Amino acid sequence: MIPHIMVHAVLQQAVAGFYTDLVTRPTGRAVRENIERDLPPGTIAVMDFTGVGCLDYSCADEIVAKLVRDKVKVLLLRGLTEAHREAIEPVLAGAGLAVLCERADGGLEGLGASEPAPALLDELIERRLAARIPGGSIRLTAA
Amino acid sequence: MTRLIEVPTQFDDRSFDQFAAAYAQAADGGGERLLFDAHAAEWASPYGLVGLLAAGEAATRKGERPLLTAPANPDVVSYWARAGFFREAADLFEVHGKVPKAKVATESEVLLPVTPVRAAEDVHGVVSTIQQRASAILSSELGLDPKATMGFAMALSESCQNIVEHAGTGGWVAVQAYNWRRKLARRVVVIAVADAGVGFRHSLESTQAKRFGERWGDAAALEAALIQGVSRFRDPGRGQGLAGIRRYLARWEGKVAIRSGTARIAIVPRWDDEVPLKEGLPAFPGSQVLLIIPEQVSEKAGGSSKQ
Repeated sequence: MIPHIMVHAVLQQAVAGFYTDLVTRPTGRAVRENIERDLPPGTIAVMDFTGVGCLDYSCADEIVAKLVRDKVKVLLLRGLTEAHREAIEPVLAGAGLAVLCERADGGLEGLGASEPAPALLDELIERRLAARIPGGSIRLTAA
Repeated sequence: MTRLIEVPTQFDDRSFDQFAAAYAQAADGGGERLLFDAHAAEWASPYGLVGLLAAGEAATRKGERPLLTAPANPDVVSYWARAGFFREAADLFEVHGKVPKAKVATESEVLLPVTPVRAAEDVHGVVSTIQQRASAILSSELGLDPKATMGFAMALSESCQNIVEHAGTGGWVAVQAYNWRRKLARRVVVIAVADAGVGFRHSLESTQAKRFGERWGDAAALEAALIQGVSRFRDPGRGQGLAGIRRYLARWEGKVAIRSGTARIAIVPRWDDEVPLKEGLPAFPGSQVLLIIPEQVSEKAGGSSKQ
């Protein structure tokens, strides 16, 4: 079973005060540490950004890039707005990292550096967590 | 004895060096009380207002609480009050002159009144406020894509975080929209952030000074931070904030300028004529950041930037 992380809910638990924006390093650190507590190393995880307002570069690095670098094998993001992508993409690309993200139509695509993304998709297909559908796009089978 | 520092009548980033020179000279006077004289002020940009607060904090740290003469012009002093300046100044200065008890503005041009930034919680407050207030201005008045509001909030967040992470003290931020007739004949949104903290050179010295050798100084530190994206932290993901600000402003043909110590660096859009790097300026404590996003004008409409 793939762990699902509802980022907005974690944000509410991790920091005092009702925030919907993921901004500042301390906030990002608190959210990541909260996520890491329940996440075994080398896992595949889904992170859902639904309900998250502004995401800044510092939080994108502190949460997404650090989880990819140090904790998870494959990170799949969903519920991303265009603005979220704009924060995450350069942070990952600059570090040579990538995640997968689920488009509104359900198709999966790489986000970040272009080199690691195909291997992430292959990993999901190999584990039968995703499959190629007619037309060529890849979608989750479970989760 | 009191030493006088005149606040320029038109107080913005262009006249800031004149103010900094007066401050540097007066602050050199061995702990004498400082008087910031703004009685003749006719206008101040957000950059001027937050810069004046930074000077007040630096002066307070050095010695006796400084004096401030409020602008004599009732419209000007009223505007400063509505921009939230006096709410913050009351803690730093002994204010003289007639200051109206005006409510801090909810009018459209003050998108964010002068707001203190000391901790991450303050940045959350700033980002939340700006999203509520800036969206309509950015899209309807500046012609930015409505989606650009989030990028604007990100740029604002990263600007404020420079204070929290690097200044070693608190600072202030203010955001205003106004008609910039003199320079651009267009509406602009201006973000100004200032602190009287340690500045970029001191913040980066332990990790960067050796690399720059004899070139090391305020200008080299600003170049390292803004152009090369280096940070004092060895963490590989650091230095994202200013790089993100640059990307956002490049998209909207905006300007970023950072003054710290005796230098100022700027990413200069084609509508501006500021030099990219200026050294040997009058010393001023901390860092002062200016972001300007101009109204987007299509080529067909005879403007100089693309929508």
